[in-house]
Amino acid sequence: MAQNDTLVRLRYRFLPDHLIGELLSKRWIDNAIPFIALVAVIAAFGSITPDFFALSNLSDLGRQVAEFGLVVLGLAIVVVSGGIDLSVGAVFSLAVLFALLGVNVLAWSIPLVLVVTLALGALCGALNGVLIGYLRLRAFLTTLVTLIIFRSIYEIAFLHFSTALVSGSVDSDLWDYLGEGSVFGIPFSLLLAVVIALIWHMVLSRMRPGWRLTAVGGARRSAYNAGINVRRTVFFAYVWSSGLAALAGFLFAARLGSTGSDTGIGLEVSALTAVVLGGNSLGGGRGSVSKAVMGALLVLILTNSLINFGVTGPVTSMILGCVLIGAVFVDMRWLKNREKLLSKVYVSPTYLSLPPFPRTSDPGSPYALNDKLRTVDIIGLGLIEGPEDVILDRDDNLYCGTRQGDIVRFFGPDHTRHEIFAHIGGHPLGMAFDRAGNLLVCIGGMGLYQVSPDRQVTKLTDETNRSLFSIVDDSRLRLADDLDVAPDGRIYFSEATIRYEQEDWATDSVECRGNGRVICYDPRTGTTRTEIHDLVFANGVVLASDGQSFLFAEAWTCRISRYWFDGPRKGERAAVLTNLPGYPANINRSSDGNYWAALLGMRTPALDLAQSMPGFRRRMARRVAPDLWLYPNINTGCVIRFNENGEILETLWDLGGVNHPMITSMREHKGYLYLGGISNNRIGRYKIPGADPNWCAVDSYWGKPA
Amino acid sequence: MVRGRQLLGEAGMIGAFRRAYASFRGFDTAGSAVPAMDGPLTPNTRLDEARVIGQFAGIDNLVATPGGLVGSQGSDILALSDTGAARILRSLEAPVSCLAASADGTLAVGLDGKGVVLIGGRHDGQRVTEAAGQALICPTSAAFVDADTLIVTNGSASLPAAAWKRDLMTEGASGSVFRLSLTGGKAVRLAFGLAYPSGIALSAEGDIFVAEAWRHRVLCLPATSAGLPTVLLGQLPAYPGRMLRRAEGGFWLALFAPRNQLVEFVLREDAYRRRMIETIDPDLWIAPALTSGVTFLEPIQGGARKKLNQLKPWSPSWSYGLVLRCDDRMRPVESYHSRADGHVHGVTSLAEWDGQLMIGAKGSGVVVGLTIGRARQAA
Repeated sequence: MAQNDTLVRLRYRFLPDHLIGELLSKRWIDNAIPFIALVAVIAAFGSITPDFFALSNLSDLGRQVAEFGLVVLGLAIVVVSGGIDLSVGAVFSLAVLFALLGVNVLAWSIPLVLVVTLALGALCGALNGVLIGYLRLRAFLTTLVTLIIFRSIYEIAFLHFSTALVSGSVDSDLWDYLGEGSVFGIPFSLLLAVVIALIWHMVLSRMRPGWRLTAVGGARRSAYNAGINVRRTVFFAYVWSSGLAALAGFLFAARLGSTGSDTGIGLEVSALTAVVLGGNSLGGGRGSVSKAVMGALLVLILTNSLINFGVTGPVTSMILGCVLIGAVFVDMRWLKNREKLLSKVYVSPTYLSLPPFPRTSDPGSPYALNDKLRTVDIIGLGLIEGPEDVILDRDDNLYCGTRQGDIVRFFGPDHTRHEIFAHIGGHPLGMAFDRAGNLLVCIGGMGLYQVSPDRQVTKLTDETNRSLFSIVDDSRLRLADDLDVAPDGRIYFSEATIRYEQEDWATDSVECRGNGRVICYDPRTGTTRTEIHDLVFANGVVLASDGQSFLFAEAWTCRISRYWFDGPRKGERAAVLTNLPGYPANINRSSDGNYWAALLGMRTPALDLAQSMPGFRRRMARRVAPDLWLYPNINTGCVIRFNENGEILETLWDLGGVNHPMITSMREHKGYLYLGGISNNRIGRYKIPGADPNWCAVDSYWGKPA
Repeated sequence: MVRGRQLLGEAGMIGAFRRAYASFRGFDTAGSAVPAMDGPLTPNTRLDEARVIGQFAGIDNLVATPGGLVGSQGSDILALSDTGAARILRSLEAPVSCLAASADGTLAVGLDGKGVVLIGGRHDGQRVTEAAGQALICPTSAAFVDADTLIVTNGSASLPAAAWKRDLMTEGASGSVFRLSLTGGKAVRLAFGLAYPSGIALSAEGDIFVAEAWRHRVLCLPATSAGLPTVLLGQLPAYPGRMLRRAEGGFWLALFAPRNQLVEFVLREDAYRRRMIETIDPDLWIAPALTSGVTFLEPIQGGARKKLNQLKPWSPSWSYGLVLRCDDRMRPVESYHSRADGHVHGVTSLAEWDGQLMIGAKGSGVVVGLTIGRARQAA
């Protein structure tokens, strides 16, 4: 058994399977499949096609990529907006014809031809846009019809002008440069396309019009409700699509200088294949320029290589069609199952073995059961929801946070009247007063905040340094939990977990990984640095008596440790209490120079066994609904008093959790102990027998005000 | 038989592949999805609202006899009155695991781990410790066919009734049903290989209805000889126990503990289950219970965490109170609940007496009475 456990422990230490879930939760993971496919295709065809990587081949490929890529990009814009544009091929061929007509027959200047060609494309797009965006016709049918119309115009015009096109000739350096020129060996048209792609990448990912386009594609009605002009957005998507197709046609005309009856035929299918193959969702709302580019490269390399091998046109089309079907299938399955997969694999438990916990029934146990907290006075019953921490100022006013995002103040000395002291928005957790009397608060999901005595709310920090190899963005503060202030003003606060949001904090107990940390905010420089990494649900923090170290609690490992941040022992860590019978939460000072710690829940043998069997918990997380998972027993409240040597001096219980099912915090003030709990609807007040009736925590730490 | 078919379906290469694939995809191959309580089983609080007759720790085996209402508490047999007074009729050497009364007042008493003893009437003092070559160590219920014939369910071939939780968590399926002749005739084994038969009732047509707890169903056995059982009522959301034929036709069915998706999951997790059984006190297992919330050492589930100092009634729970009123073919008509936050959990016995349905909740140690007239009205 022991050997078995060692294997399990090593497996969970060295195989970080939580990374799978973190990777899947990234937005860019959508690009993974097309990227892998692209690399595979390049590797495969690159190795079997002679001269694949030769400069001439690459240059030629580059020009084709430029033209085809622009068409794909235009189509991708329409697809992201939730539509489809089948007329891109026809617009492309019209543009080719018109450009040649302008240059060869009418002998216009090249810039004029470009402008008119683009205007023609935009006009075609505007027709689509008006029909689909403003008149709300179906995109598929409409563009199918315009495809036929534009194509017919092309056929008619081509018959009419074909001889004139062939007979006319042009002698323009600019025209040649557009078709043949290159900059440092890179085809000019490719450079142009790259620039356009980069601009569109910025627009789609970073700028307002792009976000609106994506929003319209993702949820038309929501976008409308959010105030976006849906019709105009859709209209311009089609204008851009046809405009880019026209630009591609212009470049094509410059490169080849001629056109045929089959120019642009089947282009819409290739472009659509590229769009979908790159991972742009046909349903709209999910897509990017990089996906379009990858798709275009994939399709071009595929078709060119097939032609190189002598595969006939119709067979190539058939293969392309099969690839399109396959891509649509994968896209649909991926879209449908990604969230499912993520929700199944995100929770990834790890190995945690704890020794058998001390039995409260043992004779002489410091944890002997009692019901001292059953009959406490109750403050604010039903007025507050979720006072995770409580604190008292010099004037006996009592402060607590609520899950509505308020800090509520109960007026001393009787605490019957209350007011909302400040509204911050996130659930306030740990609290402390600094030397100037400002209330410092850790806010779940927001960070570290300061509320001045005149209720001014200031954000102190909401980010720390990003660690080098983390996949989840651990620079953001997700669950700042408890804090204390060093005599020099530095604030040490814990972050319970970087993998879960405030509301899901208990899910971290299923993992038991070192997801938490202690962070230091230095108000003198305004900097935030992570002080200790990899703590298992870091919770309570309190400065120790020497002013150079603090005690901190790690809930799931049932441990309270001490860390020196200054002085001769700087950087050292030592255990104070281990193997507690419950999960420690906040820690605060007591009037006799010792410490109070709240146990937010009690250990149960069934859960302790499960913690040493991560495979069991992983399967549980996948197959059983979260409400039915095994959790720490937080229905019983408990508070312990201990000293820096790790001796338990006293234990207070509320068995059965009648008044205080889950105690996350306690604060001693003038002979009483005030109790808070993150899911309670009340604050408790317990008279501590024999405690100093004049002891005020703020005065005792910062000294009495002059 | 039923058991045999199940074994065939799961064994062999194909079964192994199917299980591996299902394990990968997270399918439910064992049919272990707990059905929702809806239709006639829609939750209510009628058991909590019922009139409390009295508090008796560990009350069990309520049975109406011609001489009055009788029940058991540990190894004592009690006479109960309507006002909640109790008088010890007899103390026996082992915990009483079942009681049955014949029309002439003979009591058949199941002694846990020992057998069946008869009290009163013609067969007073007779003991049956084995039937058809098998020891009757787990008599979970009994019913008189006539004054000389008794049908007994033996919940397990190896564990006493007190260890029912172990039988469930070790996937016990060694229960049987015996027809005993009290006049010296041969005992007949009517069924075997049952997963904890825990309740018995005779239908008006003479069929034997048996509750098979660990397979969450009620079976119908032919009255006289061993034959194929048929499933009368299956896919129950709780473990069925004692049954009682109603005077007006139809049946009462007590379900002593709720099924729980986490328990069903643990039943498939062999390694965890083995270590849990080896190292942890049965009261603290992930397993159904007659009562829960006694100590903070019990495991709890996410939905059972108190929010704003409230335990929600719909919380997942290890114990529950549930009584069903069924028609004459065991189809549920109506139900009586005590939910997660209720105080009539672990109903193990039912008796119709004095115009009331007496409900013995062994888990909560309470007897409550339902006026049967109200039940008729509600129907």
